Amino acid sequence: MQKEILGYKCRKCGHVQYPYRTRCRKCGETVFEGNDIVFDTVPLPRDGKLLTYTDLYALPPEFEVVKLTLGIIELEGGQRVTGQLRVDKPQLGMKLHAEVEVVRKDAYSKNWGFVFYPA
Amino acid sequence: MREVYAVGIGITSFTRLEYPLVEIAGYASILALKDAGLDQVDQVYLANMAAARLNHQTAVASALVDHLNLQPAGAATIENGPASGAAAIKEGFQAIASGMADTVMVTGAERMSEVNQLEATDVVASLSHPLSEAIYGVTLPSLAGMFTRLYMEKYGVTRRHLALVAIKNHANALMNPFAHVQTAISLEGILDGPDAPTNNPIIADPLHFFDVCPVSDGGACVILASAEVAKKLKKPLIRLAGVGQATDTHAVHERENPTDLLAVRLAARKAYEMAGIKPADVDVAELHDAFTILEIAESEEVGFFKKGEGHLALEQGETKIGGKIPINTSGGLKAKGHPVGATGVGQAHEIVTQLRGAGFKRQVKNAKVGLTLNFGGFGNNVVCLVFAKE
Ligand SMILES: [Zn+2]
Repeated sequence: MQKEILGYKCRKCGHVQYPYRTRCRKCGETVFEGNDIVFDTVPLPRDGKLLTYTDLYALPPEFEVVKLTLGIIELEGGQRVTGQLRVDKPQLGMKLHAEVEVVRKDAYSKNWGFVFYPA
Repeated sequence: MREVYAVGIGITSFTRLEYPLVEIAGYASILALKDAGLDQVDQVYLANMAAARLNHQTAVASALVDHLNLQPAGAATIENGPASGAAAIKEGFQAIASGMADTVMVTGAERMSEVNQLEATDVVASLSHPLSEAIYGVTLPSLAGMFTRLYMEKYGVTRRHLALVAIKNHANALMNPFAHVQTAISLEGILDGPDAPTNNPIIADPLHFFDVCPVSDGGACVILASAEVAKKLKKPLIRLAGVGQATDTHAVHERENPTDLLAVRLAARKAYEMAGIKPADVDVAELHDAFTILEIAESEEVGFFKKGEGHLALEQGETKIGGKIPINTSGGLKAKGHPVGATGVGQAHEIVTQLRGAGFKRQVKNAKVGLTLNFGGFGNNVVCLVFAKE
């Protein structure tokens, strides 16, 4: 099955928030169904533009690469996300497209996240 | 609210220390108790970010009380990321202002060298958002790198401006015997000379090695007291006149304007309001320059300069000792060092030193009002303190 990164859509106002939080950031509501707090999950868009980035050379120990490019991307629809970049010469404002890939792993677990490529 | 005074201070060298965490905290504390002329306090707060991970020890405030025979004083460890130090001072302020305590010992301590530098960076990175930041390999330097790129783009800050912050703070540290880094640096050596690329490699582009603070061990302590107690002790009367704290979104990418540090602006505004002063009344300031860009951005957000003009003031020498508003006379995090949980208390130590007129070669003439800005997370939890000499 294709992996997706999910946003959390408020059942009161329709705002899609990412990351998850218990109260809607826009309208402040928390909608319950019985005892359960409910949001509708929607896959986040994959296309966006680059707001800023850095080439990071001092990496957390489990990354087995010399350099990691990280960026903040504004997705179509306005949500912003942090992600890894596989772009030779990043330019602020350039259009990018995301794949969902393993972005960090250790001995016990794999984390899936956004990896952005030139659109 | 009752008035609160800083009556005693103590500090260890910020460097690599071969002592257990509690001994580091104990050393700074005993110096401060002796400075105040007290041998007992009502309450102890120990600011520490990561003893559980770095030193495999928890409940360190209780351990400190025992180490110094301060039973039955109340005690609590304050963990608030890199703003633990000033957050603990705020707790101490509240204890005295409310009337619950007459004397409070606020100590900050961190021993980071028990792990290697990359592990230490990773421990600090655990303050970032676990699912939307940390999984990508985000570290504090990477957040600072992305912030710097935007700041350069928007306001015309250059690598030269960043280097000027480092050069100034290294020069100040040379006049501070407790500072970690005791090396003069020059534009030629770190920016435009032939050896600069080797001396000053990239860490998180556009930030280079000399834009980033060192990983340090260290402890600092400030004793707070009520007016009644303070007036009996034979120390200059330094009042903790303003305390402000504010928060911002956990994930940096959620901020509406990514070059604003809103929590810095709001924390400072609250502290000024309580103290009844304006930014122009401040004579000396310790800002949280974990990265050189932060000194520039914070100098704007606390109101010393207009937004986008901090780098111009820096260039004019306005933030040097002898300038309009000297910043980081201690050397700052950049050169004094950054034992994470101790930093906010270390900043207060420097400001009290300056207001007492005890800064020797780095003394700011006639300093009467001083400010500290302790920046937690990447700006999601910020504490600002204003001290005033009476
Ligand atoms: Zn809503």
